[in-house]
Amino acid sequence: MIIFHGDQVELARVMKEEVKKDLKNCLEEAQQYFRTVSGPKLTLVIDGKCLMYALDPSLRVMLLNLSLNCTSVVCCRVSPLQKAQVTSLVKKGARKITLSIGDGANDVSMIQAAHVGVGISGLEGMQAVMASDFAIAQFRFLSDLLLVHGRWSYLRICKVVTYFFYKNLTFTLTQFWFTFQTGFSGQRFYDDWFQSLYNVMFTSLPVIIYGLLEKDVSASLSKKYPQLYMEGIRNSFFRWRVVAAWAFSAIYQSLIFYHFVTTSSLTGQNSSGRTFGLWDVSTVAFTCVVVTVNLRLLMMCNSITRWHYVSVGGSILAWFVFVFVYSLIRENILYVIYVVMSTFYFYLAFLLVPTVALLLDFIRQGVQRWFFPYDYQIVQEIHRHEPDDNTRAGALEISNHLTADEARSFAISQLPRETSRHTGFAFDSPGYESFFASQQGVYAPQKAWDVVRRASMRSKLKAPPLPPKK
Amino acid sequence: MLMVAASQQPLPCPVQYHHLQGAKRVVEIVERYDAECVPDAYKSNKVAYIKNGSISKNCTKLLKVDKLMKAPIYIYYQLDNYYQNHRRYVKSRSDKQLLDGLQNNDTSSCKPEESNGGLPVVPCGLVAWSLFNDSYIFTRGAVPLKVNRKNIAWKSDRDHKFGKRVYPFNFQNGSLIGGGKLDPHIPLSDQEDLIVWMRTAALPSFRKLYGRIEEDLHPSDLITVNLTNNYNTYSFGGAKKLVLSTSSWLGGKNDFLGVFYIFVGSSCIFISLVFLLLHLKDSRPCGDATFSYWNRKNVSL
Repeated sequence: MIIFHGDQVELARVMKEEVKKDLKNCLEEAQQYFRTVSGPKLTLVIDGKCLMYALDPSLRVMLLNLSLNCTSVVCCRVSPLQKAQVTSLVKKGARKITLSIGDGANDVSMIQAAHVGVGISGLEGMQAVMASDFAIAQFRFLSDLLLVHGRWSYLRICKVVTYFFYKNLTFTLTQFWFTFQTGFSGQRFYDDWFQSLYNVMFTSLPVIIYGLLEKDVSASLSKKYPQLYMEGIRNSFFRWRVVAAWAFSAIYQSLIFYHFVTTSSLTGQNSSGRTFGLWDVSTVAFTCVVVTVNLRLLMMCNSITRWHYVSVGGSILAWFVFVFVYSLIRENILYVIYVVMSTFYFYLAFLLVPTVALLLDFIRQGVQRWFFPYDYQIVQEIHRHEPDDNTRAGALEISNHLTADEARSFAISQLPRETSRHTGFAFDSPGYESFFASQQGVYAPQKAWDVVRRASMRSKLKAPPLPPKK
Repeated sequence: MLMVAASQQPLPCPVQYHHLQGAKRVVEIVERYDAECVPDAYKSNKVAYIKNGSISKNCTKLLKVDKLMKAPIYIYYQLDNYYQNHRRYVKSRSDKQLLDGLQNNDTSSCKPEESNGGLPVVPCGLVAWSLFNDSYIFTRGAVPLKVNRKNIAWKSDRDHKFGKRVYPFNFQNGSLIGGGKLDPHIPLSDQEDLIVWMRTAALPSFRKLYGRIEEDLHPSDLITVNLTNNYNTYSFGGAKKLVLSTSSWLGGKNDFLGVFYIFVGSSCIFISLVFLLLHLKDSRPCGDATFSYWNRKNVSL
């Protein structure tokens, strides 16, 4: 590097040319490697001074190109602003989802620039945590965050959303088929309170429990097979294909409910020869709908706990309790459920209709699991003989056993000590440098990035470092 | 997968059998009469015939019994293309008034059949106004068959839905006659025809119970039905049928559930056989990681 005093602008221009030449050489060399199929893995190492010129708009694209082709990129001695700039460059230039993780105040801008910001709380303070989307206590928990909780979260959200649409579609389409036979007059098939409480009381709790507790594979297996993370990257659970399959299932089931129940209620219904009216038929249909959608949820679960059984059974029980009480109060459907339950027809329909409705889903799941398995299903099969860890409360495996060395350093760290005034900087801290320089009576010039930093954080600094006495 | 599919169909099997057995023993005679019961002179203008009160509406039909029908034999009238499930029709009634009678003032849902000549109508609404009023008298040869018209409505309706102290008032007194008249001296809870009619049907083609014959009918019996063709279904292209049916523990003649149980059971057997063949032919080994996406697509990580 040529160092000379003088015109700063000229200096900057010359530096930029140098950096550009360097980048170009590196890129050409790298391209050569990439042309060979089994070339070596490449890493780019770039420091803050060089990055200052390389992030210039004219050179930015070349830098991005080069770094995306490398396996990893190490940027050292970068300022917080540059960290944010690099993150934005990748975020906008490469159009990928970016995650940044940091522990100090200098990481705040980077955390906020990325799509997902993770802050580590600890010795450097809480600034990073306050600016982040997720906060963890130790760096190693990042693998749990991504591979375990991130993956489960994706799975749960996809399934909950598609199930929700499915259950409402089934319920609504059953009414829709009725409109064809009412002369399109708009007569409702179900009683109003049945409709209002469907989503509130009879089908809500199971899906909440599912969204909270569903696990396709256990936490330890999620970390053992990080390739499972690709299901999220490929968006396997929320494609149009998946949504269409649920919709088809809803249409099929609604047809079953409507036609089975109405077609078989034309004649007298028990040995007394009396016939059913509209509300009797719709109560039978509604019972079948509630039972079927709740059982469909159980079919969808990968891990079942007692809360699943409680919520599904509880919802079906809530329906029966509600209708027993309601049909004593409401005038138009007075005693309907008692009339209906006094016939054998009700029990036979109750048995047959959900079975037929779920048969298609059952076959489809079997075919899918056998011929087109998802990766997590293969992992489940590989480890099928191992016991579930569903009974354990915690999902993360934090081992509480420290080695002798770790125990010693932990004990040392617990001793009372001075906390540094200078947070967030390692050895390159200007305060650190100027302190020792002033001790030895040497002048240390101020660093450019430090000037920039202090200018942008003017109001937030508690006490700027004193300029060394000349 | 195989096991569960196979376990699905033992369940329906015994049920299917009893179902069909139950359904097969039910004997049914259906006879449409609204087209034939119009005299020749009025065949081109049936509406005028039905609305003309001076023309005799008596009609005679002959029913032939093919199989033994054991008592009790249920008599239904079946109406087709009659939308008892139309929204305005279903709305047009007041269940509170059926229990409370004239004390109840909240009959706005019955409009316009709410009052007549300034006086309230009990029971109000279109549903009651359009009460079915054809009647049937059965004779076997020279001997009349006794028809029991009691206990044809659901007990909960008679006890809890229709008041024991509510009497028809100002009913069917207007210029437009919609159906049958009611005896003002009998309380609503005993007017079983009305109660049966007011349980609005689910589909446009429905049956309602008329009465019971409590004797057996033997094969090759000839039943003469003297019916009065009062009810107007000609204005809207509806049809009227008379149905005689026995009943089993499952109800009337309806093979649908039984047939479908058999269908579902046999489909399950068939599907489990298909899966068995597929399994023997080309099975993916359980827990083999070579079928996972990362191994199949040679994706580098």
